[in-house]
Amino acid sequence: MSFWPAMARAFLWALLLSLGVLVIYPLLWMALNGFRSNSQIFDTPFGLPDSWALTHYAAAWAATRGFLASSLLVTLVSTVTTVAISAWTAYGLTRTPMPGQPLFVAFILGGMMLSPTVALVPLVRMLQGLGIYDTQGALILLYTAFRVPFTTFLIRAYMLDLPRDLDEAATMDGASPGTIFRRIILPLCSPILISCIVLHILFAWNEYLFAMIFTNSPGVQTLPVGLSSMLSKQGTNFATLFAAMTISALPIVILFFLTQRYFIRGLTEGIGK
Amino acid sequence: MRLIPLAALLAVLSTPLAAETLVADPAAPVTHEGNLRVMTKFGSERLRPYFETLAAAYMAAHPGVTIELIQEDDDSVKAKTKTLLASNAMPDVFFSWTGTWGGNLVRGQRAVDLTEVLDSDWGKTLAPSAVDAFAYGGKKYGVPLYLDAKFMGYSKPIFAEAGIEVPETFEDLLAACDTLKAKGITPIAVGNKSPWVGLHYVGQMLAHDVPRAVLEADFDPATATYTDPGYVTTLNRLSELAARCTVGPEMNGIAYQSALQMLSDGKAAMYYQEIIEFDNSASASTVLKPEEFGHFILPAPKEAKGDPMALEGAPEGYMISTASENVPLALDFLKFATTPENGKLLSAPPYGQPSAVVGGADPATMNPSVVGGLQDIAEASYLIQWLDTVNHPKVATAWLNGSQALLGGTMTAEEVMEGVRAAAEDAK
Amino acid sequence: MTDIHQDPGAATRQEPGATSRRVIQEFWRLRWVAVAVALVGSFVYWPIIDNFRVSLTHQDIFTGETSPAGLENYRRLTEDPVIGLALWNNLAYAVISVLFQVFGAFLLAAIIEGLGSPRARAFWRAVYFIPSAISTTVTGLLFYFIYQPGMGLMDGVLQGLGLGAWSRVWLGDPDTAIYAIIAMSQWQGFGYAALLFSVAIQKIPAELYDAARMDGAGALRQIWSITLPMTREMTGLMVIITVTGAFQVFNEVMVMTGGGPNNASQVLGTWLYEQGFNQNDMGYAAAIGSLIFAVTMACGLAQLWLNARRRVT
Repeated sequence: MSFWPAMARAFLWALLLSLGVLVIYPLLWMALNGFRSNSQIFDTPFGLPDSWALTHYAAAWAATRGFLASSLLVTLVSTVTTVAISAWTAYGLTRTPMPGQPLFVAFILGGMMLSPTVALVPLVRMLQGLGIYDTQGALILLYTAFRVPFTTFLIRAYMLDLPRDLDEAATMDGASPGTIFRRIILPLCSPILISCIVLHILFAWNEYLFAMIFTNSPGVQTLPVGLSSMLSKQGTNFATLFAAMTISALPIVILFFLTQRYFIRGLTEGIGK
Repeated sequence: MRLIPLAALLAVLSTPLAAETLVADPAAPVTHEGNLRVMTKFGSERLRPYFETLAAAYMAAHPGVTIELIQEDDDSVKAKTKTLLASNAMPDVFFSWTGTWGGNLVRGQRAVDLTEVLDSDWGKTLAPSAVDAFAYGGKKYGVPLYLDAKFMGYSKPIFAEAGIEVPETFEDLLAACDTLKAKGITPIAVGNKSPWVGLHYVGQMLAHDVPRAVLEADFDPATATYTDPGYVTTLNRLSELAARCTVGPEMNGIAYQSALQMLSDGKAAMYYQEIIEFDNSASASTVLKPEEFGHFILPAPKEAKGDPMALEGAPEGYMISTASENVPLALDFLKFATTPENGKLLSAPPYGQPSAVVGGADPATMNPSVVGGLQDIAEASYLIQWLDTVNHPKVATAWLNGSQALLGGTMTAEEVMEGVRAAAEDAK
Repeated sequence: MTDIHQDPGAATRQEPGATSRRVIQEFWRLRWVAVAVALVGSFVYWPIIDNFRVSLTHQDIFTGETSPAGLENYRRLTEDPVIGLALWNNLAYAVISVLFQVFGAFLLAAIIEGLGSPRARAFWRAVYFIPSAISTTVTGLLFYFIYQPGMGLMDGVLQGLGLGAWSRVWLGDPDTAIYAIIAMSQWQGFGYAALLFSVAIQKIPAELYDAARMDGAGALRQIWSITLPMTREMTGLMVIITVTGAFQVFNEVMVMTGGGPNNASQVLGTWLYEQGFNQNDMGYAAAIGSLIFAVTMACGLAQLWLNARRRVT
């Protein structure tokens, strides 16, 4: 009787474990290749590197520092603008009287359905017209505009579930909507705000399409674009390329591990209704 | 949406209304004052200092001039040029390839006609074939800076060990491959993941199989037919080369950098490369040392219907923008960039870009293989340009895709040519 | 909203400035959405409208000239053999992704959430999520090397398993290129989907499972009759996200093959890029953009329609 459940359990664990290896091993291989020499990468793809010298990592750091700085700037600023604008908008849409409110909900959330690829051709000329083509400003503007719908969607869903009597009590005490937003609602929303911040950082740190098309100076390009051009620039220096890939992936993986508890909590309360 | 009309307004306001200079006057006086924007293709770490040195020297000599460098690399220069074109912000001096790329800039009246200047005494200091490569409709538009051509680089130790001489004919090359393969060595490393790699073989071989006049008529979209039987001959020869000298269809999954690495690591006997890559294939830090590196022109078959002495390659150079407010100054800077001294600087390591200036190369400071390659370029009867830049973009794409499919074994020579002919028809 | 309309006549009867003050007040209420509407309107909606205009023109970037093209660019869409190929590749992307990232991820999430220890649950969720946190440029480059013949892990693993004969030029063979890319995409995306399903499963009241156990239902039975129906909304949402995502895919293909060999792995997004930014044919690129818009819109509407129907029945 207890044979089959035990078998099933063993099978499930084997499944989880092998999936885990499938996920982790390629990433480990990537990080280890940053320690190998070119010929070792070709000759001995398995096993540990001969030395743990950080020379390739140092070279990769020097080559990607500029891209890292650019990525950092774009990610940080666009996270602040996106989450701030979305929270502000979500509050207005859920908790203030507003003429034509359903229309605005449809308009803003409808933006989620639209593909950035379709907007590509006209955006080139628009950004050139605005004189911000090939600047970090262009990416910040686009990342904000294209992520406000989704972020607003998440925050709005969360705010809809917050009890109404909070605002009413505060209004009675003479608080303005701005004060209620800042003092009461925003702190209550912190779980979903954290989820939104993490999701936006994931997006902005990794975005490639816009970054590739709207930037082309080395000082402006973000990591994903810089990495893809490294293959041609570094030529045959594979170890440095692998090291650079690892350097680019590491911060975001660490960030996820540090925040995952809050991140999942916000999502659970936000969208799992 | 209020932003939109504002954007449009800004676009209109930022468009310069300055008069255009279409033809450069060799007698125009140079005033050494003002700002000069120069867009180069030397953005990589190795090449970047060249123009920085030049600009610093020029500004030191002419304190009234400031030079602003926009240094791009091979990949980014196309996108940057298009951006600057679209926003009407072309720099005074800008990089251009020969062939269709330069032709489009000329057609769009973006490049100043330099015929009179290049026909003057200064123009005679530049290699004539290189100047001619920038001629469109009988007029000259570009100042060539350096020459580039394709050679087979090989490992002297591997050749010696296998008892192989440098092949004189295409047939000899195939036989050499058989010998190497029998010894378990990859004869030619090819990474054709980017299809221009295979297309460079096609270009050189076409010069051997198709008469020059036919080729040049076919390169012009207006007269292109691509019906000469030599095209199919070339493609069939390429298939045979691939079968006997390379890993075969697998090459389509290999990056050219990996293939180059095989020559550098001493694992392959040959790698087909540009002269400007010589310093990459063999250096102090590679297994293959510079003195062990040799090169030869991909040889013609015994019975070649085209030109057996032709070599594939093209110069690369610079143009002056018609929107420039100081064409004489821009021209003066280009003259400075093409003095014999600066030519020698460019030809020597670490740059290793063979200068297009007559006397702009000093064998004493250069990698001997580059010196030899330059000699081969000077002796070539005809420089056939890269197929992917000389053709209309649509035809170029058909060539790129077709040759890759041929090497992958999914298309026949006839099918490739059908695709090229259809694209040529479409491009008319 | 109602307070304004309480006495519409009163405003007009009083001083004339009152009406405009009311209007201003009404507009002032819109301050909450003004920034978002301006941003989304200018940079998300307007370009899509503008895209249709561009698709009706020929543009020459070198001369800076624009000429009307009528429906010429759309006619070309119907004749371009690569469009059919790209649509097929997008479709393959969508179908395979739905299998792995909706149904596969659902099962995986059900298994993880069925584990006894909360720490084990958190651990597996986090491990599987890692690839999703990494840029597609990095994972694309990584798999580009994994698939490389000779140096790649893929060949090494196959040889280790005695399946050396199966080894192929994964990205260089027109028959396998797109599937190799899709496989990478599944590797990267399934953990994210599983996490979202985990979130939905956590919301299901535990009493339902308790009741089922009382009735003697086994684990599979519980997944089938409780977990699946209770996460139906999430499943619907995931299907639409996955399918529209599959028709917008760009990075993976761009980084790994650029659409090659011989356009075999071209998808609509990369073909748009190739036409607009390499071949300088912005008008035609815009027409491809319209096609992407139509397809993703159709998917979205189909989903809305399905949702509406489900509610009625």
